[in-house]
Amino acid sequence: MKRPLLYLLISAITLAAIYPILVVIGISLRPAGSLYSTSLALIPAGASLEAYRVVLFEKPFGRWLANSAAVSLLVTIVGVALASTAGYAFSRFRFRGRTVGMAMFLVTQMFPATMLLLPLYVLMRNLGLTDSLPGLAVAYSATALPFCVWTMKGYFDSIPAALEEAALVDGAGRFGTFVRIILPLSAPALAITALFSFMAGWSEFIVARVVLSSQELYTLPLGLESLSNSFQTEWANYSAGAILVSIPVVVVFLMMNRFLVSGLTVGGIKD
Amino acid sequence: MQNRYFRGFLSGLIVVVGCMGAVLQAGCAGEKAADAGPIEIVLWEMMDPQERELLLQNITAFEAEHPDVKITAAHFGVEDVRNQFLTAALGGGGPDIIYGPSDQVGPLSAAGTLRPVEELFGAAFFERFHELTRIELNGHLWSVPEQFGNHLVLVYNRALINTPPADTDEMIRMAKASMVDADGDGKIDRYGLVFESKEPFWLAPWIGAFGGWVMNDENEPTLDTPAMASALEFCRELKATHGVIPQDCDYELADTLFREGRAAMIVNGPWSWKGYRDAGIEIGISSIPRMTSTNAWPTPMVSYRGYSISASCDDDKLEVVRAVVEFLTGADVQRQYAEKIGALPSLLELQGSDLIARDPVLAGSMEQVLRGQRMPIVPEMRAVWDAMRPALQNVMNGESAPAAAAKEMQKMATKKIAEMRS
Amino acid sequence: MNGSSERSLPYLFLGPALLVMLLVVVYPFGYNIWISLTNMNLYHLRDPTFLGFEHYRNILGEPELVAVFIKTVLWTVVNIFFHVTIGTALALLLNQEIRGRSVFRALLILPWAMPQYITALTWRGMFNFEYGQVNLILTEWFGFEAIPWFGSETWAFTAAILTNIWLGFPFMMIVALGGLQSIPEEMYEAARIDGAGRWQRMREITLPLLRPVMVPAILLGTIWTFNNLNVIWLVTNGGEPADKSHILVSQVYKAAFTYYRYGYAAAFSMVIFLILLVLVIVYMRQTRATERVY
Repeated sequence: MKRPLLYLLISAITLAAIYPILVVIGISLRPAGSLYSTSLALIPAGASLEAYRVVLFEKPFGRWLANSAAVSLLVTIVGVALASTAGYAFSRFRFRGRTVGMAMFLVTQMFPATMLLLPLYVLMRNLGLTDSLPGLAVAYSATALPFCVWTMKGYFDSIPAALEEAALVDGAGRFGTFVRIILPLSAPALAITALFSFMAGWSEFIVARVVLSSQELYTLPLGLESLSNSFQTEWANYSAGAILVSIPVVVVFLMMNRFLVSGLTVGGIKD
Repeated sequence: MQNRYFRGFLSGLIVVVGCMGAVLQAGCAGEKAADAGPIEIVLWEMMDPQERELLLQNITAFEAEHPDVKITAAHFGVEDVRNQFLTAALGGGGPDIIYGPSDQVGPLSAAGTLRPVEELFGAAFFERFHELTRIELNGHLWSVPEQFGNHLVLVYNRALINTPPADTDEMIRMAKASMVDADGDGKIDRYGLVFESKEPFWLAPWIGAFGGWVMNDENEPTLDTPAMASALEFCRELKATHGVIPQDCDYELADTLFREGRAAMIVNGPWSWKGYRDAGIEIGISSIPRMTSTNAWPTPMVSYRGYSISASCDDDKLEVVRAVVEFLTGADVQRQYAEKIGALPSLLELQGSDLIARDPVLAGSMEQVLRGQRMPIVPEMRAVWDAMRPALQNVMNGESAPAAAAKEMQKMATKKIAEMRS
Repeated sequence: MNGSSERSLPYLFLGPALLVMLLVVVYPFGYNIWISLTNMNLYHLRDPTFLGFEHYRNILGEPELVAVFIKTVLWTVVNIFFHVTIGTALALLLNQEIRGRSVFRALLILPWAMPQYITALTWRGMFNFEYGQVNLILTEWFGFEAIPWFGSETWAFTAAILTNIWLGFPFMMIVALGGLQSIPEEMYEAARIDGAGRWQRMREITLPLLRPVMVPAILLGTIWTFNNLNVIWLVTNGGEPADKSHILVSQVYKAAFTYYRYGYAAAFSMVIFLILLVLVIVYMRQTRATERVY
């Protein structure tokens, strides 16, 4: 495809895809704070940044951000460490219970999550994990792991076994091959796993609502929800909050994005 | 060699994960060990931000007078506070006091998670409150009312409407007269009347205007009535015959149009008024006008909010809990809520005072409350709402006739109530 | 290396992840199986009695079950199909070396990055009959008739699907981008030398080699979408028009949170669980998802 045409295509798709985001931005600028718009104009009459000021400076936004970041980082670390090791086991070993084990991770996702909330609360309470950020992180890790384990396994599968066999013959040992050969080759999958683990809890509301009750521990979604009235939501504040919440996700994505470009992968290293 | 390290690393991971719970448990236990301190009371609420601010001030005031008491308030959404309370009660946790709308005591008391309040306060205590705010369920009272109302009224834009309509015919005439198609493109740029037309809560006033209601005194659904059919027909005509309300009018659209000055009148509750003033609309409050054909007042649902006491609240805390609730529902606090937020007091002594008379909004709101009917607080009401909603939407979409819809409502409500009990 | 340690090695690798899953999932799952066999509801919240399979019999006897099941399958298949095709196509476009591609990528993940609650409700507003942007664009720019999105079952379902496709494509795009990095450049070079055209290289190298990474995403995407209540609930405001916009899991939600019929809701969840289990086992047999490609 010709370059200009390609650009035109990508730009058109991107514009269409982010149109609803622009609408959300429009809502966040509305002085009257209503949800619906009655025209196609994206920037409302009398647009103001008031909602951003309210959310950022009148509310403990920094604390919510810090709590969310702590939980999501913990989930990311747990997700990457545990998914890469488990994925490696599934990809490289043939052992009793392997297929069952892989299926198990999937099976845990099949039960409607709403029904797991009550027993999850009972369990967390018995473990003393209610109203604690690490407790929340454990719950989120369980949502992130199945996808991450399967993704890592799928990616490890695409790395030729010959590569590590050579290393094993050289006496590097399993640990050495895993850390020095396999992990660097898997940067793209690790990036996806990290991003997904990060997102597993970042804007999650329902589980956080069940686990946390102290206001000091509120994560971003809980904090934003507390801005709204019982029957009336301040949509401008809410949208401004939603936009602020998505900025860190984009930052994390951009950090991971450098692993999602070709050149540092299997082919590159094989030479 | 490296294998051994790696094994160590993996075993380490297992141990770390396994210990996480144990460590945290120990941490929490450590905090609880200091039991020589003040009596701790936990309160859960679903208040709006402004109300919460006042609550926190009042809690501080109470604690200043009672240094041996420490009150922690945690905030939840309306639905969350009820569901979380049930979840917590099953798990053996939860607060001592829960604040919420009157209908939440239905499910909570049926589930055995509340203490009857008259046992703690004595029956005489409740005589000071308006009768619509002390509704018994299974022979007991389950909450101490703190405010009153939460009812729909007619809100009008003073820039467009001088005097509120006297009856529904006039309301329709005024609505038509306020409709504007400025650019003549066939699209209405300003509507006369807007309200959430898909939710049965907004249907309730009209049912009463035709002499019907959603439940009888035995708390059985009474939906298949001529009054219901007339109310449905009235709403359908507003849209289909008179064209005064928009096609696809849900809560957010009605709210948006009124805020933007693109609707002359809206039927909405006290929670919305501040937002309209903030948007620069000068609002007037009046009762929903008399139904012309029956000459009767529409009867919005009237409920109240108050404090309930958890069944799991320790006996030795009860005396303190009683003091806290009595303070938070006392005359001083209620006066504050009326003056600063516009909440109607539940105490009779305040209702007759000039506190109401001198404020036109409170007065208008009070007038409407006294014309309303009480919202049933039994848990079965949930099934009634759920049965009314689809039938109402079918009528508004022209999919079914009002009489058939009323019949369908009754059938569904009966079925769902039976299922709730199975 | 001795034999026994080599045999225990995979379990050590697997142990930590498995432990977390068991910790968080096993108890809630067992708890649900138990209450699904009891009469636990609002009136028997603390003193449920054993009921046996009565809830299951009632659920399987519901006349609407099959229709809602078919709708749920349709909901899942349509969503996943568009998630994967749009996601993969965008990943292929944005895997080329073009200036500013990080910017495009970052913009395109926004539908995934923003909290669903607000975007789903914004979409609901966009589908309003008279004022929604969708109808305004259809009528003013293209001269179509305005569509009554929430006035008919089919349109309401379409609106929910459009919203969910928009919410879900970035995820598949990211996964596909990762998968594309696993394809060695040499394979393309070799194919080029053999005279394979662009389309042929795509069909014979790119798509098959994307498989190991896409299969798990599709598998899990299917499971998540099958049980994704949020989007359809928010867009149709809990089932507009007239409770016709529901998928299987809506019944669970209503039973549990509107009626507090915990026993029934747990039994319904078990039914959904078993349906998904069968579907996924069939799918895994077909794709041999647990096996390696090489």
